[in-house]
Order: sequence, then structure tokens, then C-alpha cells
Amino acid sequence: MSIFEDWARATFRQANLEVDEEDLVLVELVYKGALSQLELLDHIDLEKFPAKGIDLRHAPKAT
Amino acid sequence: MNHPQDLTLRQQADAVRRGDISAKELLDATLERLRERDPAINATPVLFDELSQVQISQAPAGPLYGVPITVKDMYALPWRAARNGTLHNMIPAGASGPYRNLRDAGLIVVGIANQHELGMGTTGVYSAYGAMRNPWDFERCAGGSSGGSAAGVSARLVAGSLASDSGGSTRIPAAYCGVVGLKLTYGSVPYDGYFGAATTFSAPGVITRDAGDARALAAALVQRPLPQQSGSGLRIGVVRDPFWNDADQETADVCQRALKLAGWKVTELKIENFELAVAAFLGRLIAEAGVPSPDVLASLSAPTRALLLAGMLAPARFVPRADRVRAAVRYSLAAAFDTVDFLAWPTSPAAAPTLEDTWIALPSGRKPVDVPNVRQSSIANLTGIPGISIPVGLNTSNLPLGLQLLGPWGSEARLLDAAEHMERVSEREFVNLLPPLAR
Repeated sequence: MSIFEDWARATFRQANLEVDEEDLVLVELVYKGALSQLELLDHIDLEKFPAKGIDLRHAPKAT
Repeated sequence: MNHPQDLTLRQQADAVRRGDISAKELLDATLERLRERDPAINATPVLFDELSQVQISQAPAGPLYGVPITVKDMYALPWRAARNGTLHNMIPAGASGPYRNLRDAGLIVVGIANQHELGMGTTGVYSAYGAMRNPWDFERCAGGSSGGSAAGVSARLVAGSLASDSGGSTRIPAAYCGVVGLKLTYGSVPYDGYFGAATTFSAPGVITRDAGDARALAAALVQRPLPQQSGSGLRIGVVRDPFWNDADQETADVCQRALKLAGWKVTELKIENFELAVAAFLGRLIAEAGVPSPDVLASLSAPTRALLLAGMLAPARFVPRADRVRAAVRYSLAAAFDTVDFLAWPTSPAAAPTLEDTWIALPSGRKPVDVPNVRQSSIANLTGIPGISIPVGLNTSNLPLGLQLLGPWGSEARLLDAAEHMERVSEREFVNLLPPLAR
């Protein structure tokens, strides 16, 4: 069993979710694909991207 | 008169108002059309034969009195829970906010529009009711998640459908089926009883045959007029990379020809931070999608289950960073809309894939179609802006293609002006194209 599979099974077990082998193969594919995108966020300059309030109904007001 | 479902939504409302046809006659003809054509495309798996007759007797004399529409499975109705493309009641029965507004305009809900289960896909392949099929080619996807809405309108089963859009779910099926799909600005309609209210991405949308119908249906939905102006002389911003450069060549060419035909002033733009938008969308999505109860999870298709389970595993550290990027992208967009009226690129980078093989070939390689589809559409969901997909013709395989326009917050009326302008300059060639099922 791979490290990923061990970890995923343990996480899902904690949430009382039953998963099978087919689930785990697909979950690993999706997870790794998503992670390759998400890791871009690890490299952002937090000075350049300050935390700001968001109201999705309107354009942001210039600050 | 031809079959009343060959009329536009506005024409149907006018015909009922003038007394050319009664609301009951229109409804009976619609139910007959649905029974005749729907089995080929599985767009409307649930019909309200008797309840729709009751609705006629109770409907107010609103501007769209007596016009039958379908409603995506994501909205609670007084007599039916929102099931969201699953076998389960996800929101109890009740009059959802969007339903109330449509009811008050006099519209009649004749059936449930099929959808991709939980809204988690852009193909319409997975649903508890079975896959939706494209009226242009039954072996191809109708799109998702509002595939039943788009396929039903395209096949002339109904003239309008209430859809929703959390990552292109109104615009993509509209493009695949050759109809108009308008995603509203986030928060422009009461969200109670709407499954999309669980996220900060989702907004109701309307799917119709042309922009005039979209204006009428959207005005009913937002309960305010969407005034009409000229759509000529608009300033359009084109972001080439990746939205045009990583599209199928024929799709890009057809969309480019439509822009030229419209005669709008086209400017190439680069928008700061756009390259991080998909990552921010995903970062938020994993936090918002959540995981349904074990019994619901067990009933889902393997791909949908995998998407939800993978989200459970994603580290939470990405969420606050996604929000920082989201805020920055909104500022970048606001700045872009100081210089152009709309942004434009192909709604989907290629025409509808087959139900059997939902991967598509793009310059960047072969990919599961959800990935590039979400790339093309999710900026509107990340930032809350409205967008529209308008039909711009067929490819050489006789499959419809859509051009997407994205506008500033609250610009629905102007987006519809642009779509109507395209209809004028094309002499309605694109919106009058009929799929084989409707000929």
C-alpha cells in the first residue's frame, strides 16, 4: 500500500466514509492534478496579495 | 400557427396575452412535444403533467403568464425537493427564491431539467437520471452542469430554462447546444432554496434560444427591467493566452470571425494575476464543495465521488491564499473594465465531446474536458461577474460553438445588448440554426 493510499484511507475512515480500490485510484489522480495547480499559491508574494474584503456582488472599491 | 414551441418565449407570452392560444393549449402542446422528443436527449426526466395545470389556474397575470419553462434540479419547488442530479433530497421542498420570482412573472414550471450530478462536471454524462444527450448529435455531450436546460431549449421542448452557474454550468452547455446562456452577477437573486447558495461561486442563469428571450426571462428572475440599448461600437478586450491560444483552431477561428462580423473595437489585453485565477478557484472550491453524507456519496458516480473525496484531502493552507488572489483578480478585472466594455473568448475551447470519450485535443495536449472548460469559465465565478455564451455558428462537424462575453458586475443588460447586436449583424443566422431533432 502506498503512503498516499495509507493516508487517504485513514482520513476517510475518520470521516466514516467507505472507499474502495477504484475510488482510491481516481482520488489520487484528481488530488495530484489539483495539487499541481494549488501549489502555485504557495509561491505568491503575500506583500503583493494583501488580504482584502470581498463582496462578490460589486466591483471592488479602490483603496 | 406552427407548433407553439417553435415560437420564442416572447412570442409565446404575446400569443397567450392576445388570446391566440390559451395557457392550457400552450401547456398541452408543450407536454406533447416533451413526450415526443425528450426520450432522445433525456433533458427533462420529470414532468409535472397535473401540477402544471394547477399552476396555470394559480398563476398571476405577470408579463410571461402561461409560458412553460423547465427548472434545473438544483432549485427547491413547493412540491419537490432539490435533488441536484442525485437520488436524494438535497434541499427540502419549498418555494426557492428564484422559483418565487419566476412564478410571480406568470411562468409555469412544466418539468425538471436534468443536470450533471451535484453540478460537479461540464459534460452532463453523470446524473441519477442518466446522461443528457446533445440534440445536434445524440452521441455527444449536452454539457454541464445545466445540460438538460440547454438540450431542452435547443430541441425546442421549451423556450426557456432556469439554470445555474458555479464554474461555467450555464455557459458551457449553452455553447455545446447552440443556444444563449446568461450567468447572472453573484447575489442578484434571492438564494434561499438554491443549492448553489452553499458556495460563493454560484449564480442562477437562464438558457434561451435568443438574447431577447434571455432578457425577458432574466428580468423576471431579477425582478427589474433590463433596458435595451444599442450593442454596436463596443470595446472588446481579448486575452489571447490561454483562452484563445489553447483552443481548438476551428473553434478559435469561428469565434474570431464572429467578433469581426460584430464590428466591435477589439483590443488585446493582458490582465494581471489571471494566471493564478484557476488555482484560486480550486483553492476555494475544495473548501466549499464539502462532502455529502455517506449515503449520498455512495450513490454517486465514481468520478464525482473522487472529486469530492480528493477535496477532503487538500491542505487548508491554500484557502486563505486563494482568497488573497481572488481579491487581486477582482481588482485587475475592475481595472480592465475601465478600458474595455467586455472580455471575449471561446466559451469552451472545442465543440462538445462524445459521451464515450470526454477528453479533448488542444494545443497544450489531450485533457479531460472539465479542465479547460473550467479554465475558460471560472474567472466569472471567482469574481462574481456576469457572462454570456452566444451561438456563433457550427464547426465542420455541424456542432455548435459559443463565444463568451464577460462584463462588469451588474452588466447583464449590456451583455444582452451585445448578443442582440450579434443577432442583427448575422441576420439571426446563428440563433435560427436548428438541430436535427428539431427539424
